[in-house]
Amino acid sequence: MAAVKQTVEHVESLEKYKHGFVTDIDQEFAPKGLSEEIVRFISAKKDEPEWMLAWRLDAYERWLAMDEPTWAKVHFPRIDYQDAYYYAAPKAKEGPKSLDEVDPDILATYEKLGIPLREQEVLAGVQGAPRYAVDAVFDSVSVVTTFKKELAQAGVIFCSMSEAIREHPELVQKYLGSVVPVSDNYYACLNSAVFSDGSFVYVPPGVRCPMELSTYFRINAENSGQFERTLIIADKGAYVSYLEGCTAPMRDENQLHAAVVELVALDDAEIKYSTVQNWYPGDPETGKGGIYNFVTKRADCRGDRAKVSWTQVETGSAITWKYPSCVLRGNESVGEFYSIAITNGRQQADTGTKMIHLGANTRSRIISKGISAGKSSNTYRGLVSAHPKAKGARNFTQCDSLLIGKACAAHTVPYVEARNGQCVFEHEATTTKLSEDQLFYAMQRGLSEEEAVQLLVNGFVKDVLQELPMEFAVEAQKLVAISLEGSVG
Amino acid sequence: MSIASALKARDPAQLPSKRDEDWRWTDLRGLLRVLPPPAGPVDLAGLGTGPFDALATQTHILAGGREAVEIVVPAQGEATLALRVVSRGEAALSTRASVRVGRGAKLRLFESYEGDAGAYVTHVGLEIVLEEGAALERIVLAADGDDGVLVSQAQVALGARAEYGQTVVTSGARRQRLETAVDHPGADAKVRLDGAYLLAGKRHADLTTVVRHLGVDGTTSQLAKGVVRDQARAIFQGRIVVEEGADRTDARMGHHALILSDQAEVDARPELLIHADDVQCAHGNTIGRLDEEALFYMRQRGLPEAAARGLLIEAFVGEVADRMWNEAAREPIRAWLAERLAG
Repeated sequence: MAAVKQTVEHVESLEKYKHGFVTDIDQEFAPKGLSEEIVRFISAKKDEPEWMLAWRLDAYERWLAMDEPTWAKVHFPRIDYQDAYYYAAPKAKEGPKSLDEVDPDILATYEKLGIPLREQEVLAGVQGAPRYAVDAVFDSVSVVTTFKKELAQAGVIFCSMSEAIREHPELVQKYLGSVVPVSDNYYACLNSAVFSDGSFVYVPPGVRCPMELSTYFRINAENSGQFERTLIIADKGAYVSYLEGCTAPMRDENQLHAAVVELVALDDAEIKYSTVQNWYPGDPETGKGGIYNFVTKRADCRGDRAKVSWTQVETGSAITWKYPSCVLRGNESVGEFYSIAITNGRQQADTGTKMIHLGANTRSRIISKGISAGKSSNTYRGLVSAHPKAKGARNFTQCDSLLIGKACAAHTVPYVEARNGQCVFEHEATTTKLSEDQLFYAMQRGLSEEEAVQLLVNGFVKDVLQELPMEFAVEAQKLVAISLEGSVG
Repeated sequence: MSIASALKARDPAQLPSKRDEDWRWTDLRGLLRVLPPPAGPVDLAGLGTGPFDALATQTHILAGGREAVEIVVPAQGEATLALRVVSRGEAALSTRASVRVGRGAKLRLFESYEGDAGAYVTHVGLEIVLEEGAALERIVLAADGDDGVLVSQAQVALGARAEYGQTVVTSGARRQRLETAVDHPGADAKVRLDGAYLLAGKRHADLTTVVRHLGVDGTTSQLAKGVVRDQARAIFQGRIVVEEGADRTDARMGHHALILSDQAEVDARPELLIHADDVQCAHGNTIGRLDEEALFYMRQRGLPEAAARGLLIEAFVGEVADRMWNEAAREPIRAWLAERLAG
């Protein structure tokens, strides 16, 4: 079998990318290609109401009229949108799913990835161990969502997008597309037409979500794209922390991941969104394969004193092209962006954030740490803008880039637009290589070169790592080390 | 497509627009629906003196009827020259200047853009070459009219160990862009690219620079500072590119702006594009208002508020004048700045 052969061929690199295996299960695909029929097919598969189908078809119409953007500092051959599957789902049994009905192969996959899907396993852990609810998305569908009952007791809705469309149409209709409009950009528009699944979270007024919520995205099928859609709403005074993880098998072909994430924070609400992105980055030598991660993430601080914090650790993907942003509409709302982007091999990343200050006394903070190694390219691109009404807006931005190796590139492209006399914007950026003096010092104390580099890199990214929830931080730190393996000497 | 050819053909469609990423904040096509006719000859005798005539030994003039100038300083030579670009009335003026500084030669070039109240559209294309070990300090004073449109584009090429220093001082125009692109060979050559803007009314100024480091051991230092009030708009776009192999590059860029009114605007894009690993590159960008604490301190010492503000702003912008190599030139620049600040 081709997939197995590939796995064998890549045994060595498996050490570095341990999530690169393929799960061999029965899957159901939509016919290859993209057309109005496919959009109808996806909608019908998910048993969607008429309004949802109309929404999708409208998006598809608009997408046809749009051009692919080319402004990012990334290079890739033209994507053939007709050469991919837009829907791939594990063949499932009819009826509502309990964990026992989920294909054991899928369960084994998540076990291998270290994602707890059985609540009792989590519960059986050490007393006081942090618990978190998981929504597992396998290719185009959500296979299971844990802890739903316990969350429902607190009034929190945590389910897959498809379920939300069926069960909570009023919330979905009210908020879907209200942060990222259908025709916002090429990939968001494509997503609006063909999105398959994703997570939906609603936290009612005054509720502090009792546990961390997380979604684990897995691309498994060959030649398929993943188009997930996530919508998180924190009502007045609510709080939620949400984690996102992603992996994919190692393949020689490129696969497209075009997600849309929308966050809505009303008065006094707070959303903390953390991502550890570890899609397959492609072969480090040839640059073959890997995921194209073209994602639109945006938060709307719609209410006064709302707060949204994005934290991302980007180590995977052949190409990363994303700008998690905050629209600071409410007065005194706060936006934060903490990012570590690591590129190695032939990876390309063009990532950053937008902080759009619309309300009075809004504040934002951007800490971005980019590390380039090998023959990779890493770009920070950001926008900070204050509109005439955003009196008292404040921003602090710090972008640091670290270069490891002769053939890598690091770019910093910040845009700053100040449109009133009451705002204070500060931006600083540095680009340097690892300090020889520090390396020498660490090695002279008995560390190997690789260990010394790791130590220095960990120090470099510390500001961001400490923003991650505990269990993610540990994983992220390991990921940083693995991503840079082989980049010295 | 270039501005020169747009003016020649009187074709606004050839002008850059906000769809061009590097012109997104200085849209010419959206502003100029029609282009004025070419400028007729200017009466040189009636021009009067330029702002730098006293400092220079020779003055070149670019104006209607005199659209090109060539300046050559022979090897090991030394010169102090003035170059006046004179825009008059509703007319299109497209000019070119080439400046060559020979091996080991030194040139101080005082450039002044002098516009009247007319709705002129002026383009200046400069080609500047510094041979090995040559030094050029270019001081540009842009005093355009309220209704004028000016675009100055300088292309600078440096030899090894050459030193290029530039200070641009402007009060803006209806729309104005002062652009400098430097090909930096590394090789111990030094580049300083400074600028200061003082904008009031509805004036617009755009300082754009691109420095490409092509070889090892190059340094670039850049400081731009400015003040905007009323409904003025300032733009700073600085790009430093370090090409592959241009190791041991040391490049530093700073842009700091004060916004003194609620309707003024400052847009900035300080870029670093690095393709080599052994480099030290940094940029800083701040946009804000006057430091209230400093103001309070000065008032508490007995200074009237207006005087305290003036002093703080003068000190803020004055840093740019202090960095000029030629001490004799600092005074007229400071005086010009002070005059604009008072007004």
